[in-house]
Amino acid sequence: MDALVQAFQLLFGENPELREIIGVTLQMSFFSTSISALLGIPSGVWIGSNEFRGKAVVQRINNTLMGLPPVVAGLIVFLILSRSGPLGKLKLLYTVTAMVIAQVVLITPIITGLTANIVSLRAPQIKETCLGLGIPPLQQMLYVIYECRVQFISTVLAGFGRAIAEVGAVTIAGGNIQYKTRVMTTAIVLQTNLGHFEFAVALGFILLVISFIVNSIVQNLSDRERA
Amino acid sequence: MIELIDVSWKYAARVILDIPRLSFEPGKRYALIGVNGSGKTTLLRLLAGSLLPDTGEIRNVPRAEMGYMPQSPYAFGFSVLKNIEIALAGCPDAEKLANKALKAVGMNALAHSRGNRLSGGETQRMAFARMIARPRKLLLLDEPTSSTDIRGTDQIEKTLLRYTADTGCTVILSTHSPAQALRLAEVIIYLDEGKVIEIAPAEALLNHPRHERTRLFLQHWKI
Amino acid sequence: MKKVFVLLVALAMVFASAACAQQAAAEPAAAEPAAEEAAEEVVAEAPAEEAEAAPAIENPVIRLSTTTSVNDSGLLPYLQPYFEAATGYTLEVTSAGTGAAIEKARTGDADALLVHAKASEEEYIAEGFGEERVPFMYNFFVIVGPKDDPSGVKNTATAADAFKAIAASGSTFITRGDDSGTNKAELKIWTAAEITPAGEWYVNIGGGMGQALTTADEMGAYTLSDKATFLATDTSLVILLGESDDMKNTYSMIAVTPERWPDTNYEGAKAFIAWMTSAEALDLIDAYGVEEYGEQLFFTIR
Repeated sequence: MDALVQAFQLLFGENPELREIIGVTLQMSFFSTSISALLGIPSGVWIGSNEFRGKAVVQRINNTLMGLPPVVAGLIVFLILSRSGPLGKLKLLYTVTAMVIAQVVLITPIITGLTANIVSLRAPQIKETCLGLGIPPLQQMLYVIYECRVQFISTVLAGFGRAIAEVGAVTIAGGNIQYKTRVMTTAIVLQTNLGHFEFAVALGFILLVISFIVNSIVQNLSDRERA
Repeated sequence: MIELIDVSWKYAARVILDIPRLSFEPGKRYALIGVNGSGKTTLLRLLAGSLLPDTGEIRNVPRAEMGYMPQSPYAFGFSVLKNIEIALAGCPDAEKLANKALKAVGMNALAHSRGNRLSGGETQRMAFARMIARPRKLLLLDEPTSSTDIRGTDQIEKTLLRYTADTGCTVILSTHSPAQALRLAEVIIYLDEGKVIEIAPAEALLNHPRHERTRLFLQHWKI
Repeated sequence: MKKVFVLLVALAMVFASAACAQQAAAEPAAAEPAAEEAAEEVVAEAPAEEAEAAPAIENPVIRLSTTTSVNDSGLLPYLQPYFEAATGYTLEVTSAGTGAAIEKARTGDADALLVHAKASEEEYIAEGFGEERVPFMYNFFVIVGPKDDPSGVKNTATAADAFKAIAASGSTFITRGDDSGTNKAELKIWTAAEITPAGEWYVNIGGGMGQALTTADEMGAYTLSDKATFLATDTSLVILLGESDDMKNTYSMIAVTPERWPDTNYEGAKAFIAWMTSAEALDLIDAYGVEEYGEQLFFTIR
């Protein structure tokens, strides 16, 4: 109970580290989600609305990557960005960029897979209707995207939720460096280990609030879609 | 003249449609009848270009001036009026034409509702309005009244007959109702297991079927 | 070259995991009974062996909270089977920085402590959570860094001088920032050097010794490490300063009193401390690492 009271004092007080951590977290989640959306939505639309050879294989690989354990994503990014790794010269390890890369590896397959599912439910009907009206293929595609736009936003927010709540990959790729790559989840792990429960609780509370807001937006969008 | 030569289409190694030869004269109205799974929809989709034949060829389909209404047409999330206007790209009076088409099927009151809020029957009437919103050379209609009530069915049928009289458009439609085939078509084609069994003027085919299988099918038809 | 190979293996793992995903769900169920059996065996055999030496053990599981330097260096995994065979107890080891390790004992999540931060240990005892700290071994911290040693740590004689040199040249220094014994020792050295470390060059990673060493290796930075963990970790860093008087590192054990947390296995903790200070254990500790690293890693206090 004490921890909760102190957590609130921290939240509304002047704690530069707490604000720094929240800032880094939001920055990382925003960029990783945006990049994943830019990669995942077009590929998902393409996979979901076209029949091509090897589609089943592509989908199976993507489904596998959707379940990629975060620590494995972190490990791969670590090995690639390590000084002795292929991209070591870029000196990106232990930066926010490295965390964003690891999360893009994690989230892009999720957005791709969800997008492909959404699109495959509507695209055949939309495309056949458009064909019957003499609408050219490129415009058909735009209509497919337009009709699925609300679900796309939900998908992106699901990706954001994953990004902000993830701990394994960002620990390995980011190194949990104070004022630089320490995010809410890694800070919670550290502060819990140190017995600084009030700090951990404050961060956990903020994570819950963000999660609540994101979920409310998703709910609101799908309600409006139905109403 | 639209012609099909040695056209076949398979799905999962099963022959769904097999038509050695079939032609459609311009300006005439054709109805495809037959049991579920007889190949009516497949034939329409092949004509529309939504499916490609595995063998043979389909000639002289005026695809640029064709309207094809699939069995479950899609209604977009935007307004019903806009749903019609997307079929009128390049027309100067798109809105006027769209309103006229909606009026023809008795839907002008719903012009500003959202397309994805329509009922099944309303969606079908709207999709039909898209077909007749502009002059076309060919209409392919896949069970255009499968979800409409008797009033909606009547509106669509009357509108279609008026439209063909005005434009001289060729019509190929599928229907599960021989009575509707008689009302709308000059020629009826009876399909069974992917094959054309009989083609004849509408009245002749229904009253004096020459083929045993046509007769067996029509015995289920009670007025 | 080695990392490229490891990378390939990791990528192979990703695709293999696809195949294993479904199996994995089934496997633990099958594996668990075996593990339980093994545990039962230990318990079942122990009383027979120890019938004369000790009465029947009431609670055979000891939860030991220790620091990463003792666990990651391999010392504890090396001692554990000897201890378990000799006493019939089962040791459950959790390792964290000393601060976190002591915190676990405070919250009743440990029966015994093995840590290395005198001030924190004394504070813990003063709060009434433990009775006695039993110092039993020591080793030396070392200052490690890149081979080219841009700050010239090699030319210094004490840790405080070395830290001054690092701060003066602005070379990157990794601090664990996890309230561990090593972290506390490091902060003490900064105080001795009369420097308040802060800025871009002073990188706080909030992690264990192994992570600090890996990070220092990746960033070409300096850090303070216990020697054992440094030797057990695979990096390209080298020891630049070791065994100066201000880098002595003493380890002690504390049994958690049952007064605060009645559930704690006080008997077990006592038995653990008794065995660790026995001649058998001390000989084992003195011998540890000689074969693998060619030098003694921990020095016992007798």
